[in-house]
Amino acid sequence: MNEVSGAANAQVVAAKKKLSSSFFKKGITVAILSGMCYGLYSAFMTLGMAKGVWANNLYAGVTVGGTVLSSFVMIYMLGALGSALNDTISGIWCILIAAIKGKLGDFFRTIKTKPGAVMIVAALIGGPIASTAYVVSLQMAGSIIIPITALCPAIGAILGRILFKQELNARMMGGIAICFAASMMIASTSMTGDAPAGRALGMIIAFIAALGWGIEGCVAGYGTSMIDYEIGITIRQCTSGLTNLIILVPLWGILSGGGVGLAGELIGNVVTDMPSLIFFIISGFASVYAYSLWYKGNSMCGAALGMACNGAYSFWGPFFIWIVLGVFDGQKGMGLPPIAWAAAIVMVLGILVIAMNPMDLFRKKED
Amino acid sequence: MRPLNYAILKYFTTVKEACADDVIEALKGQYGSFKALRKPAVIEAIMTGEANGLLEETRYDLDPKGELRVYYHAHKEGADTINTYIK
Repeated sequence: MNEVSGAANAQVVAAKKKLSSSFFKKGITVAILSGMCYGLYSAFMTLGMAKGVWANNLYAGVTVGGTVLSSFVMIYMLGALGSALNDTISGIWCILIAAIKGKLGDFFRTIKTKPGAVMIVAALIGGPIASTAYVVSLQMAGSIIIPITALCPAIGAILGRILFKQELNARMMGGIAICFAASMMIASTSMTGDAPAGRALGMIIAFIAALGWGIEGCVAGYGTSMIDYEIGITIRQCTSGLTNLIILVPLWGILSGGGVGLAGELIGNVVTDMPSLIFFIISGFASVYAYSLWYKGNSMCGAALGMACNGAYSFWGPFFIWIVLGVFDGQKGMGLPPIAWAAAIVMVLGILVIAMNPMDLFRKKED
Repeated sequence: MRPLNYAILKYFTTVKEACADDVIEALKGQYGSFKALRKPAVIEAIMTGEANGLLEETRYDLDPKGELRVYYHAHKEGADTINTYIK
């Protein structure tokens, strides 16, 4: 179909090649940036959860310095509360950005449509459901589940092939496998040999988390071919934040025996605590780009390549935790082990193999 | 009124083929005040549609100003998908 109308000339062909190439490069750049922003938001959220009232277990129902929170609440409820606070603040950022860019009207118009509903479902699967599965599996099986969750790019790529007929050949699968191996290399540094009872079930639940993130990346990426990515992320963060805040945190409150009252008290504590809130405001902002660029990258270069580029967050996470918590906040033991740097190089190779046939690099030199 | 991105894709189901300039011209009456109805953003929206199998490139040439002009159309499968999701 690609015919040049009129006399074919080199100038037109060159301009067309340049346009296609710049679109492809932008897609990869956007997807890589999303992984970097994911690392940044993780680091600032971790820092926020170590400051102010968080450092004292939120003073739940007791005097300063004390705690009545059981280990159950500490693990599940604080995790859910951290995510809820980050995503809600991120949702507020998204609404502000959409308003400044004149997209607020389209946001309200979009949520009433079929693609808008699909985006809400993807946000629920990838947000509260997958995140809760991740926390629960971590508690049940320990850090052995981290490599399992690193399967999400492969799952996203396979789903992209099945659901949306996106390209997925043997070379791309090989590249995804290389990226997975790199994630495993990084995960090995946090494998502590902890093996609590219920590990098998924990590993199955971890797979649910990977499946959830794979579904979100692939479905929301495709949805972003119809929905403006800044509107898509506004839907995502508002859905995830409000669901966590209104349903998940109170649910953990009830399960912990403290009831909805405990949830209300903890939410009140964290939203009025400026020493920690300032870091959540930063993490919420980084989170806007972590997810919106993930969706945009996936929509521009397909789930396989987009999710592999984004998957470099398994390097960017520890990297920015070292920069933000170690260098900036002066916390000890945050440095990156040599294997993480080696894994980053392996990951770049994996992404290269997915994006193109590496042999073409040598062929170009010969030309 | 549809969201702008929907309107861009939907437009391709009503014409034989179109380029970004045609889209802007056709939609400027209703969406003229939208910041996103600018050529680079419209080209990106169209190419994203193409990357996801909703649109297909038909031809390209240079416009009178010497700028590249790429034409696309919504093939049957793409048009069916667009019409399924966007009413």
